[in-house]
Amino acid sequence: MSGRRLRGFLLAGAAIVAAAVVLFVLSMPARLSPKVLAGLSRADAAHGEEVFWASGCAACHAQPGVKSGDRPVLSGGLELKSGFGTFVVPNISPDPVHGIGKWTLADFANAVMRGVSPGGRNYYPAFPYTSFSRMHPQDVADLFAYLKTLPPSANDPRETSLAFPYSIRRGVDLWKWLYLHPGTVVSFNSASDIVRRGQYLVEGPGHCGECHTPRNAIGGQVLSKWLSGARMPDGKGKAPNITPHRSGIGDWTAPEMVSFFQTGFTPDFDSVGGAMVEVQENLAHLPKSDLEAIAAYLKAIPPLPSSAGKDSHSRSEDEEGAG
Amino acid sequence: MKTLMMAAALAILSVSAASAQSDPVAVRKAIMASNGASAGLAVKLMKGEVRYDPAIAKAVLEAINVNALTIGNYFPEGSGSGRETEASPKIWEDPAGFAKIVAKFQADAGEALKAGGKRGPADLAAFKTAIEPVFGDCKSCHQVYRLDR
Repeated sequence: MSGRRLRGFLLAGAAIVAAAVVLFVLSMPARLSPKVLAGLSRADAAHGEEVFWASGCAACHAQPGVKSGDRPVLSGGLELKSGFGTFVVPNISPDPVHGIGKWTLADFANAVMRGVSPGGRNYYPAFPYTSFSRMHPQDVADLFAYLKTLPPSANDPRETSLAFPYSIRRGVDLWKWLYLHPGTVVSFNSASDIVRRGQYLVEGPGHCGECHTPRNAIGGQVLSKWLSGARMPDGKGKAPNITPHRSGIGDWTAPEMVSFFQTGFTPDFDSVGGAMVEVQENLAHLPKSDLEAIAAYLKAIPPLPSSAGKDSHSRSEDEEGAG
Repeated sequence: MKTLMMAAALAILSVSAASAQSDPVAVRKAIMASNGASAGLAVKLMKGEVRYDPAIAKAVLEAINVNALTIGNYFPEGSGSGRETEASPKIWEDPAGFAKIVAKFQADAGEALKAGGKRGPADLAAFKTAIEPVFGDCKSCHQVYRLDR
């Protein structure tokens, strides 16, 4: 065989492999199996409200300026700037035209747990469905029932339009193939029920990893650096290391964490700031047992050095105050 | 003698003014540390970890009041860069917004102090009511105008 023919064979072989990968990815079952939603109990909107606060929906979807405590109006419109472009948060109020009032539970569950719109289009993973894919379907059903009780809004935020190549939403299929894995992130040899509950809340609805875990160049979470801190997606500031490392929050006790979630004060009485303010105010709505579970999980995960440089959240390492 | 003392006092004042001018970051950090310590004591009072006494509460409110009245003076143009400060560039991008939020902090701190009267809030419930808006101000300012670098 001549060198040229060999090269031709290799190229053809590579093209076939590439085509096979693309076919495999594109033919993936992008939607949830209907079995997942069959056999759920009747949706409980009251419990759905708890799921709502645990999931922090209001932080992105609520009308800016409407503080927790009021009934949130999920009118969307917030613009999330990132290295990939600007994501515009949609209206998820129960308005039948401008919101999600006409959606079925299957529509909603596929959006939340698989990042697929009712029309079969991919959502960008700025919508944290990689985390939400780990949610219990019953929680998603309860959440949906709660959202239906909120005020409708006729707001029509503009469509997200990113620059090429991110404008190709089919490309998100490939991204999902790489990064949408509903399994747990941390594997414990043995974990108490409270740690497991915390794991569910943090890795699933709470979607803590979306900000606190660093991402690679195409926006995939680097799970080996789970919760060890990251630059914020808009490039301004960082989400701190929340692992039990000394450069993280290793010197916070579990009750101190619970107190932080409830009051917004750190153990050295600095106040919560930045994007975490809304997260904390959402968490403050949760039952104390859930906050204790989150704290127990954050004490149990592997301690890792900070991924986003020097951290100022450890009392032992930094100056006091925050001028 | 009186003149001499006046002169000495003025000299001390101008020295501290000069050092504040040359290192506003250090001064505002000291003010924030004082706020943090005051908040810490306030929370301990609320949790019952320190026994409530109107005099303690008054000291907390007086300290926060001084901090509120002064903090806004220590963010001059050009003092927002470098790793040693967590001040967000938004302070200088939106000076009117920042001034407004500082003014609210001053108003709430002043109101809390006034509500406590000369001897401080009579009981824990009164103290809680007085200080809660001030706690809200910590968060709402840090939400927008502080950057975790």
